[in-house]
Amino acid sequence: MKSKKRSEILGQALLWVLLIGALLVFSVPFLFMISNSFEEFSYVLPYPPKLLPTRLDFSAYKHILDMDIFPVAVRNSIVNTCLTVVLSVFVSTLSAYGFARVPFPGREKLFGIYLFTLMMPGFLNIIPQFLILKGIRLPGLPNGLVGTRAGLILIYVATNVCGHTFFLRNFFRSLPDSLSESVIVDGGGHGTIFFRIMLPLSTPAIGTMTIFAFQGFWEEYFTAKVLVGADETMITFPLLLQRLNGQHATRWEWVFAASILALIPVVVLFLLFQRKMVVGGLTQGAVKG
Amino acid sequence: MKKHFSKWMALVLALTMLCLCLGACGEPDTPVTDPAASTGKPTDKPADTTGSTQPSSEPITITFWHTYGDSEEAQFRDVVLPLWEKVHPDIHVEAVRQDSSQYHQMIVTSFGTGMSPDVARVDIANIAAYAKQGGLAALSDYADFAELSGNYLEAPLSTNLYQGKYYGLPLDTNCKAAVVNTNVLKSLGLDEVPATMEAFIEAAKARGTYSLNVSGVGDWDMYPYFWLFGGELTDDGFTKATGYLDSDKSIAAMEKIVALHNDKVLTIRDVDGSVDAWDGINSEYAMFFEGPWYFGSYEDCTAKGIVAATIPTYEGRSASVVGGEDIAVFATSKYPEAAYEFAKFMTSEEVQLAMLEAGQLPILKSLVDSEAVQNNPVWSVYMRQMESAKARIPSPNNSAIQEIWSEMVTGIFVDGADVAQSLHDAAAKIDEQLR
Amino acid sequence: MVTSVRPTPVRLKKGLRGWLTALPFILPGLVLVTAFVLYPLLFTVRIALSDYQIVLGKITFLGLDNFRKVLSGGSRFWYAYRNNFLYALVTVPFILLGGMLFAYLINGLKKGQSIFRVGFYLPVITSWVIVSLVFQYMFNNSNRGLINYILVDVLHILDDYVPWLLREWSGNAAIWLMGIWKNLGWAMLIYLAALQGIPKDRYEAAELDGAGLWAKFWHITIPSLRPTTFYVMVNMIIGSFNVFIQVMMLTGGNPNGKTSTLQYLLYDKAFNQFQFGEASAIGMISAVTIVVLTVVLNRVFRLDNVDQEG
Repeated sequence: MKSKKRSEILGQALLWVLLIGALLVFSVPFLFMISNSFEEFSYVLPYPPKLLPTRLDFSAYKHILDMDIFPVAVRNSIVNTCLTVVLSVFVSTLSAYGFARVPFPGREKLFGIYLFTLMMPGFLNIIPQFLILKGIRLPGLPNGLVGTRAGLILIYVATNVCGHTFFLRNFFRSLPDSLSESVIVDGGGHGTIFFRIMLPLSTPAIGTMTIFAFQGFWEEYFTAKVLVGADETMITFPLLLQRLNGQHATRWEWVFAASILALIPVVVLFLLFQRKMVVGGLTQGAVKG
Repeated sequence: MKKHFSKWMALVLALTMLCLCLGACGEPDTPVTDPAASTGKPTDKPADTTGSTQPSSEPITITFWHTYGDSEEAQFRDVVLPLWEKVHPDIHVEAVRQDSSQYHQMIVTSFGTGMSPDVARVDIANIAAYAKQGGLAALSDYADFAELSGNYLEAPLSTNLYQGKYYGLPLDTNCKAAVVNTNVLKSLGLDEVPATMEAFIEAAKARGTYSLNVSGVGDWDMYPYFWLFGGELTDDGFTKATGYLDSDKSIAAMEKIVALHNDKVLTIRDVDGSVDAWDGINSEYAMFFEGPWYFGSYEDCTAKGIVAATIPTYEGRSASVVGGEDIAVFATSKYPEAAYEFAKFMTSEEVQLAMLEAGQLPILKSLVDSEAVQNNPVWSVYMRQMESAKARIPSPNNSAIQEIWSEMVTGIFVDGADVAQSLHDAAAKIDEQLR
Repeated sequence: MVTSVRPTPVRLKKGLRGWLTALPFILPGLVLVTAFVLYPLLFTVRIALSDYQIVLGKITFLGLDNFRKVLSGGSRFWYAYRNNFLYALVTVPFILLGGMLFAYLINGLKKGQSIFRVGFYLPVITSWVIVSLVFQYMFNNSNRGLINYILVDVLHILDDYVPWLLREWSGNAAIWLMGIWKNLGWAMLIYLAALQGIPKDRYEAAELDGAGLWAKFWHITIPSLRPTTFYVMVNMIIGSFNVFIQVMMLTGGNPNGKTSTLQYLLYDKAFNQFQFGEASAIGMISAVTIVVLTVVLNRVFRLDNVDQEG
């Protein structure tokens, strides 16, 4: 009995050593980034390269925080990301339920098309997407939704419906049928099943997806650049980060400091929710071939 | 399994059929896909006429895209724009700062979406490509252009030329000149910047470590050396590379660079993996060629013994490559006259002097000998170097030509390809692009 | 005759009712997808078969010319295509094995699981652009790069500094390494969830039969993880054909396109050379390749039993 306990402690210790070693190797890029955000580069890299911080100098951070557009960029990024996440989760949850639980002819074919779109590269879509936004004529908006927050969010939500639906559909399918049957016996419809049973049961899955989605929207650069890049008041954090890249030379400590600032919200969010994250249902159904 | 596969095939087929239909239907049925239609040209016509025929009656707004950095933007916003507003209170200029890194892609995308600016600061290397796509207005069609163009320096102006017309005005210019560390020079036994490359090479040969740094294999980095040692790219009309790029003179020039590389006089960072020039100039390198922004980035240059100098001559000739930006009016602009007016304003003496304060070198002949230029130890050098600076091949296929050039140089320096053969092959490929 | 006619109205009615029930759920998504995903996709397909003059918006049907040009237009396409496959071939096994291994180790911990969960997951939630910047400077040439400094100046393993990002194979290796580092945590998280979903009694039953640690891992853990492995693998393979930012920021496809990938080539063709037709053709080749790979993998893994037909 005692020896079993001892071997167990030994085993745990070995696990800790292995994992800590691996984690140290894994954190090298982060260490490098943090250490160098305290340096002053004057456009070139220092020799020898610094892996560990040699000093604690926050002037690069101060420079970023003091930028006129910093609060604007942060506010825009937060507003855009939050609105997008809420809308996107709402639309995708509804879709996923439809594809998982409501039988209708052509359902699998339609879903196959959704999956196919995930495999097409998205770059080239920007021009037709832009033209559609421009075609949405509204009073007071000569360029349609181009250059507006609404337009940007619409594209973000639309381009993520397929992926998110795929993610959640498998989860809905993994829930037992017996749950919804009881509602049907009581005379309830799909609306009742969705709101009363499916939504409460799937909060962990939806939460997980929310985190994935938040990160994706938070770092999005290309669409934002094309759509609202002409308007200084609409600048987002990734655009600000790009602006730190000079035409001929770059102050790397600013870029690293801004990168770390950009990382903070995502890390905080992950720390808060990581215990509740589930990925269970999504592994049960395979990608359809 | 078979079922699955056939389903996918059906899907792919269905998509293909659909697009074939779209293709066959053509433009009229798909108005949204047609940017020309959706820029609303027909519907916007009324606005156009009111805007251009009665310029002073109703205030208009034109959009100006630029890639100025912090200090240039401040100068533009605080000094230049107020000047403009005083002269043209009826034309409001909305200036939009873009990141330099994705700027070209932004403009290409705007062509597709019909949301181009009215007027923009454009890299000289891209004017021909934009003009070929039909994206720019030909400014030489305006009556006063002939007179106006006489004021501009030859090389910067020439970058706006495409098929006999000018599609922009020069806005700012630069070229490469020598950045020299006088302390390293002293250790080579040279007390001052040598006037000739021959003298520099003689002194650097004995050293055994690299004294001269070339950053990359691209046109901007390599052309000055290639030209300096006697190489040539095309005929004067930029119609043919064969017979020029692979001439004996060109082969000798490239072989000279190879020899200097073998003798450890010159290093190519992107080939050898050597220390970056901006870094190495502080201690290791005696010289590298760079634009004026190097000196704009460091205020303590002189204290470190780093000075600007014209590129030492080889066999009596100096050489450099022209950089900088032009200002172009876009074909989709609703107010082309106003945009052209603004472009002209940006090239006026007053504005050029104002922007010079932020380090933007002027494109006006009249300012070459001005006090503002001549009293500055850096700007004066660059303006003098401009006299021997040449423009790159002004071709809409510029990006393909760059690729051919880099591929050739990489082949020679990394894979040890035969110089004469490589130049010959590259010349044939460039010929195709110039056709 | 009679049997084939009679059910039709019933089926139609039933189908209509199915659609009516489903519409409130799928309509918002369907409208958005049609407008902003499907329509652009068809547009891309059309451009792939046409000559597209971007400023004029003129689209002239060409047939398969763009595909012919891409396939016969020199080595750059083939290097890019090769590199996508190599990327998948190299990174996916590391991500799968590494993810599984770390998940297994973490799952064995009695305390402190979340430290490692967060630690290994950090790269996943860091933006590609930021990560690329860091790798760009770790693999910098000369002695300013961390890797060179450690290998040459500290450990003296190499005599000379290596210009990592400027050579075909070391450039590709840097791109691969970054891919592995960035994605391993994601695989780990998914495997961890899957491991925790394996019923405990299976292990207990095996223990009663006298199975050791290894036997349990081999006979219970691995088979239970098969659907998870497939899921991770398909995701990573799709990801392998979307490699873009790494290439743009680390090597720019240099030297001479030998570290390029299809997405980077597509971007270069469209936005630098105005060749939207060829770019769209490359996009389609990439998409078809992914579809074929997915179908083949599905067959190899024989997952039809898991994949319930709806």
